[in-house]
Amino acid sequence: MINTEEKRPILVLEDIFKSYNGAKALNGACFDLRKGEVHALVGENGAGKSTLIKIIMGVVQADSGKMILDGEEIKINNPQEAQNHGIAAIYQEPMVFPDLNVAENIFISHANRGAIMHWNQLYKDAADILSKLDVKLNVRMPARGLTLAAQQAVEIAKAISLNVRILIMDEPTSSLSAHEVDQLFKLVRSLRDRGVSILFIGHRLEEVLDLADRVTVFRDGCWISTKNKDEVKIEEVIHDMVGRDVDDFFVKEDHQRGQLLMSVKDLCRENAFQNIAFDVYRGEVLGFAGLIGSRRTDVGLALFGIAPANSGKVILKGKELTIRSPQQALREGIAYASEDRRQLGLIMPMSVSANITLPLLKQYQNSFGIVKRKDEAQTAISFRDRLEIHLQSIQDSVMRLSGGNQQKVMISKWLNTSPEILILDEPTRGVDVGAKAEVHRMINDLTARGIAVILISSDLPEVLAMSDRVLVMREGRQMGIFEKVDADQEKIMSAAMGQNNVVAEVA
Amino acid sequence: MKKIFERFSPEQIREGFLISVIIIVVLIFSSLIPDYFNARFVNRLSTSIAIIGVLAVAQTQVFLTRNFDLSLGSIVGVTAYLLGQQLWWHPEIPPLVAVMLAIGIGMVMGAINGLIIAYGRVPSLITTIGTLAIYRSFLVEYSNAVPITTNNLPDWIVNLNQLSLFTINGFEFRVLFGVMLLVGIIFHLLLKYHRFGRRLYAIGSNPDAARMAGFNDRRIVFLAFLISGGLGGLAGFMYLTRFGNIMVLAGIGLEFSAIAAAVVGGVSNSGGSGTIIGALLGSLLIDLLENSLFRTVAVSEFWRDAILGMLILLAVAIDHVVIGRLRLIWARVGFKMETEESQAQVEGADHGK
Repeated sequence: MINTEEKRPILVLEDIFKSYNGAKALNGACFDLRKGEVHALVGENGAGKSTLIKIIMGVVQADSGKMILDGEEIKINNPQEAQNHGIAAIYQEPMVFPDLNVAENIFISHANRGAIMHWNQLYKDAADILSKLDVKLNVRMPARGLTLAAQQAVEIAKAISLNVRILIMDEPTSSLSAHEVDQLFKLVRSLRDRGVSILFIGHRLEEVLDLADRVTVFRDGCWISTKNKDEVKIEEVIHDMVGRDVDDFFVKEDHQRGQLLMSVKDLCRENAFQNIAFDVYRGEVLGFAGLIGSRRTDVGLALFGIAPANSGKVILKGKELTIRSPQQALREGIAYASEDRRQLGLIMPMSVSANITLPLLKQYQNSFGIVKRKDEAQTAISFRDRLEIHLQSIQDSVMRLSGGNQQKVMISKWLNTSPEILILDEPTRGVDVGAKAEVHRMINDLTARGIAVILISSDLPEVLAMSDRVLVMREGRQMGIFEKVDADQEKIMSAAMGQNNVVAEVA
Repeated sequence: MKKIFERFSPEQIREGFLISVIIIVVLIFSSLIPDYFNARFVNRLSTSIAIIGVLAVAQTQVFLTRNFDLSLGSIVGVTAYLLGQQLWWHPEIPPLVAVMLAIGIGMVMGAINGLIIAYGRVPSLITTIGTLAIYRSFLVEYSNAVPITTNNLPDWIVNLNQLSLFTINGFEFRVLFGVMLLVGIIFHLLLKYHRFGRRLYAIGSNPDAARMAGFNDRRIVFLAFLISGGLGGLAGFMYLTRFGNIMVLAGIGLEFSAIAAAVVGGVSNSGGSGTIIGALLGSLLIDLLENSLFRTVAVSEFWRDAILGMLILLAVAIDHVVIGRLRLIWARVGFKMETEESQAQVEGADHGK
């Protein structure tokens, strides 16, 4: 199918070195992209993928190395130049302008449309591009109300409008539901068939292997391997990524299920979820599965008192509770680690130790209200050792840590409140394979101590592997609770998508 | 109700709302004050609005980029003084040159703001608080407490204030008001149809995305402040013709009137949204209230400021609660429409921005 003409590389990067303040991000990395292929780039956080993209896009410049486009060596100094070369990028967070309408967003980078806006022409061109992509959007609406998936469609339309030859996609699927991912992949494939070369970065390996024609692995800023679609195996890719066999990938240790800790009955919150009912036992992991929009997070927020439930009962250790605020939830031994590290989880510029002690600051102050830094440091060090947080100093600000380590700091913060129930909302989103395994090990460790974990995750293999039981939600309704032995991916997916009527088997 | 949402954008609904508030204010004061809406009042109001309107336009395009220009009042004062002095020493300067000179003086001060903010990356709030004081202090030092008076100025500039293009029933259409309308129309078109205007919106709406889209964000922010300074200079010229007597306190506090007008007119101080029409309606409402309260004996001077302050707070609260919700409803209604429908709309009607 692919003839020799198409196999010719369109973009080649050779021996790229780049360091930030002495820390090496790329250490002689190589990469090549052929015409009309989807080339996936995978690697742990800190492997240098983002840096490579930034160099291609001209956001940063390489210290040394060659970039060859169509056989000619080029230098790209800023995003505008990358665009002139026909290179565009779509980032994890779509970069739309909420106040501008869809059509304007699509054509925002066009320098050659002249200085004067011809609105009718603009709307028509935008509608043309969207219909080519088979995307239904009203081009006159501001981008403010668009879903993430629709925003990405707008970004792809933007790239097409620029006639890009090379499209870089940096983890575009991390916030999409399974259905939306399918649609995105359909778009990507149709782009590829038109001869666009796509550099795709992703964390969900199954997805990546499904889409890509070739897969390249980076580790520690170096090229490790490149394999064709037909010869690549997921275990090998993981091996290449972490540089060791991850035999503890999704390993769940079984613990004796303890006594009943909490019963939730008929929990409802208007416009969010209805009739949620489950029991949680000491030392178990209760998984929450469901698609985006299944309102799992809202249940977590209700139990933690951020968005309290309207009706229903929560019985914790035999005592009936109405949880109205996070302070109350914490007092009762419920902690919730948010999915949104940046917005809701951590205070990025503050130090690791200050972040960890934040919810219990009262315990770390003397009678004058002065923070006892020694105690604070002691706590931070004990969590650093216990969760193996990699950092130079506990006084470092959190934003300097990698995603996985930030996650551990956030979990430390909640563990420090000595919860009996810990709600983990997407604890491994955007975290690399190694850190993921460590988060899983930590969950095992917690349950061994008798803590109950409610694990909300969109990563289905993870939920299945880590949970004792799985509660499946769909659009605010509870579709059923599956025992580990009965649960498999198909059953849970079909419940989550509402394809068959699974009756709740409350255990 | 739903029909209204589909037909009009939240911005248009807000502008309609502002117009009705203005009408209500006029009706209330008419019932309180005998002979309230007379020609003399309206004529005086129109020159006063002319100055605030031009400053509101300046503030609006700076607001769109998520910045402030607090130095506008000082720019007006300095320009009015320097221009007055030039006209005193060289009465032969032709009017057009005088206007250009005023704009040029303002632009120099705007450029200083722009350089520090766009290229020095100092937040605009800090920068323009600084230059607000610096320009004013320069005026105090430079003028040596010698005021410009009408006696020293050429006749044309003193009379320009009263000069009108045409008169209907004693209601004059004054030149200064015409200048404001012209500025309003130019900037309305610039923001809506010119690439520069769209980039102002884009930068305020999502600065990171603007950089990624390959915009030269620094230059655009610099230009916004340069233009703001230029319009401040033009307002300084208008100030000179209106008052004739310029002392070191000239134009003090005008920056706040300009901010108030823009905010009440629905220009968001977090960037990305707002229209010139809104800002001008805001100027009209603010100035109308100020001048009307001035004529109301019952309301003391101190309460006037409080009432204006409350109006600003109310406007911002409405912006966050009502308009924010309208926007979401509007977006939702809009996205439900099928592509064919939007296609039809594209071919036919005008656009909704």
